Amino acid sequence: MKGSLSLVLVAAVLAPVALAGQRRGAAPASAPVFTDITKAAGISFVHQSGATPDKYMYETFGSGVAWFDYDNDGYQDLYFVNGAAGAPNALYHNNHDGTFTDVTVKAGVAGIAGPAASKAYKTGVAVGDYDNDGFLDLYITGFGANLLYHNNGNGTFTDVTAKAGVAGSATEWSTSAGFFDYDGDGDLDLYVANYINFRRTDNPYCGFQKPGYRMYCSPTMFDGTADRLFRNNGNGTFTDVSRAAGIANPSGKGLGVVFCDVDADGRPNIYVANDQVRNFLYHNNGNGTFRDIAYGAGVGFDADGKPQAGMGVDCGDIDGDLKPDLFVTNFEDELDTLYKNQGGGLFADVSSTIGLRSSYLPLGFGTKLFDYDNDGDLDIYVTNGHVVDNVALYRPTSSYDQKDLLYENIGGRFRDISAQSGPAFQVKRVGRGLAVADFDNDGDLDVAISSVGRPPALLRNDAPPRHWLTLALHGTTSNRFGLGALVTVEAGGHRQALEVTNVASYLSSNDLRLHVGLGAATSASRITIRWPSGKTQTLTNVAANQILSVQEP
Amino acid sequence: MMRLPVRPSCAVPIAVAAIVCATPAFAQTPSAAPRPAAPATATSTEPVAARLNRVQADLYGKVEHLDADVEELKAILGIDPNLAEAHMLLGLAYRGLGKPELVGESKAELQEALDLKPDLIPARFFLAEVYLTLGRYANVRDEMQTALQQAPGQPQFLAVLGEAERHLGNPTRSADLNQQALARDPTFVRARYYLALAQFDLGQRDQAIANLEQVAAAHVPEPDVYLSLGNAYLDANRATDATTVLEHAATMAPTRADVHIALARAYRTRGLLTKATEQLTLAKPAGDAVQPTEGYQQVETDLNVEWGRLRLRQGQLTAARTAFQKAIDIAPDNGAAHQGLAMVYLRQRDYAHADAEATRAATLGSPLSAADRQTLDAGLHRPAAGSAK
Repeated sequence: MKGSLSLVLVAAVLAPVALAGQRRGAAPASAPVFTDITKAAGISFVHQSGATPDKYMYETFGSGVAWFDYDNDGYQDLYFVNGAAGAPNALYHNNHDGTFTDVTVKAGVAGIAGPAASKAYKTGVAVGDYDNDGFLDLYITGFGANLLYHNNGNGTFTDVTAKAGVAGSATEWSTSAGFFDYDGDGDLDLYVANYINFRRTDNPYCGFQKPGYRMYCSPTMFDGTADRLFRNNGNGTFTDVSRAAGIANPSGKGLGVVFCDVDADGRPNIYVANDQVRNFLYHNNGNGTFRDIAYGAGVGFDADGKPQAGMGVDCGDIDGDLKPDLFVTNFEDELDTLYKNQGGGLFADVSSTIGLRSSYLPLGFGTKLFDYDNDGDLDIYVTNGHVVDNVALYRPTSSYDQKDLLYENIGGRFRDISAQSGPAFQVKRVGRGLAVADFDNDGDLDVAISSVGRPPALLRNDAPPRHWLTLALHGTTSNRFGLGALVTVEAGGHRQALEVTNVASYLSSNDLRLHVGLGAATSASRITIRWPSGKTQTLTNVAANQILSVQEP
Repeated sequence: MMRLPVRPSCAVPIAVAAIVCATPAFAQTPSAAPRPAAPATATSTEPVAARLNRVQADLYGKVEHLDADVEELKAILGIDPNLAEAHMLLGLAYRGLGKPELVGESKAELQEALDLKPDLIPARFFLAEVYLTLGRYANVRDEMQTALQQAPGQPQFLAVLGEAERHLGNPTRSADLNQQALARDPTFVRARYYLALAQFDLGQRDQAIANLEQVAAAHVPEPDVYLSLGNAYLDANRATDATTVLEHAATMAPTRADVHIALARAYRTRGLLTKATEQLTLAKPAGDAVQPTEGYQQVETDLNVEWGRLRLRQGQLTAARTAFQKAIDIAPDNGAAHQGLAMVYLRQRDYAHADAEATRAATLGSPLSAADRQTLDAGLHRPAAGSAK
């Protein structure tokens, strides 16, 4: 159906000049691409790892970061999860001028109030409007009980965990989580990845029996823990349907999760990156259940048939064939893995042939496939950092702090352009959470990165300008923010297929508006939106360089 | 106490593990009886059950096609990811491949099998074995206690539970459980091996040696048995006997550093210093990377201690001191290294340092011999311990 009449122009930002002659997949400019503006933006948050000589494993797995517009003012606000028990999370309001103001106390989202929250080691964050009231809510995971904050719509939040029934177990170590509508009923359900079955009272000594040499143990020492799926009952409460839905595999050691319609059947599937055991791909059967098809699809192992140490994950079409591929960050001495979607439910690990060699030595965590230079294809950002803080004692060539990686997509292959992309890529950090958003609404995607025990980094995208579009979906029958909508954009004779989701990376949540790089095209000739409800909407001749609000017809 | 193999447990090859699946207690598992091994080259049109049976036959039999078995099981799970038996066999196959990076996946497959089918007792046994390999003895206890409720008196379960109890500091219970296993099956060599280890821990060296000799006589293809026996002989000052069994172990496991170190010790004890040097050279881990594992630390420490002792025997005091100091750098609380360093200082007539090291060694359970202590005391102008004033 034609839907151009439903368009509401929320903001139009004129793109800078000098767009002519730039093509998709063009080689990057040599000027710095990302500029660290953390301090200038007023971000003073410092992550507290709570590290102790006892080397409790959760101390080194870091915490996440989220971009979301909590007050619906059209600008993405920034939320940092803190680690140590009692260390407050931080919510920064976007002042619309490149700076932020800490509003944590006013908003009531520090995550440390109450007996359960005060004891938890906080890890991940998920964002979604679970009650379809038009305001985005927050879900905080941790080693300990998880938290659900309802957005009151007035700049404050209320802890509704108990009422909603989504705390999980107080003994679980939850990691990445995300909202999605798996059953197509128009409200958002919640998936929570769980890591290992860890107990402070069962903390083996690992490493040399020598002062300073104790190290964090391998997850192999511990059992996995089943993930959880909470079905939204539509009345502010959720039901744990993990086992009935078929996603409660106790061998999983989930760190990253992404929702993706890999077979274009209109239903979101779930891909879980597990640490040192195979990854899961849960196919949505459409009847409330899932089936793990990782074996058949070829996305459980690397090309050699070995399980890898999956950390962060994302899903997107990297080669322009309109089929979403899967990307996973892994341990050192493992390539980050790109599973190319070959169609028919089959994937192929193409990591070793597609230009990801730089990922072999660092240990990857947060990641995002996004078009940083608006040239019409998905590039890759990876933040790295070892898990063993004293790794250099054992392996002098390695280090806890590591540099980020930026890969430019050039015709479906990748080139490491980190070295040419500015000082931000020369800084070593213990990278963990990573999330992207166009926080300054200038038409390119910026990056926020959390680092274990250190300040975060806010990296402003200063890539040379090209044309772009940002779509902010508003569901009516579908969930309010259109999560799960499949969008096809045709511009300049080129088609891109994208999915509306804020769930990707590691412990983090991204801008849920859909950002599309258009390259040299000044408009999109056609935009097709398949809403989660099944409705299809077509927009034609949409001018570039604007943020469009699109309402479900 | 007798020195045990470095690895936290006896790694039982699949062929041994298969015994458990051939016992009547597991008759409920599909095709539990061993079948002739055959290549896992099934066609995709063949029924899954038939393909699974063929893989199982290989894994429970001669184990000739592990890589192919893994691929076949993955293919089967691609068809039916909820097939508990396939998950169990895949876990078993991973374990059989013996690659450290697959231990976690082996455990995961076995846990998934049990989640799908909690009464799949062989999976519980194989899972307990993985826990044993990982040194997670409380988990071994949990799994085997559950398994024994399902199959009371099963000798394999009793033995593995017994070995877990030994590691958990209960050698008496370990001995009791393994004796129960042997009462049910006197030919069960694994229980006898574990019994011997428990007896060592209980200070019953002669009984332990006797049991180990019985195990060795059964020609079990497990180098740890011969390593344990060799170390026991050395402990009992039977260096010639030790040499024989350790040479056998080295033939079976030519890449095992701990075996070469023990054999070097046997040669050194017998004055065969050239052969000892050869063995220590073979024991050097490949590459320069330091592995952050307990096993690596133990091997590196033992290797340096043995180098030190050899150099001491050869009169190369500087080299000996360097080796002992390397060992102490890796493991500051290694009594043998401090003892060796004390001996170096004693030979150098540096009595003060010798005394400090000897005192440290004694607190760590490795005192100097009475003769050496007497020499040291004389050097320090002290009266010998126990002498009349």
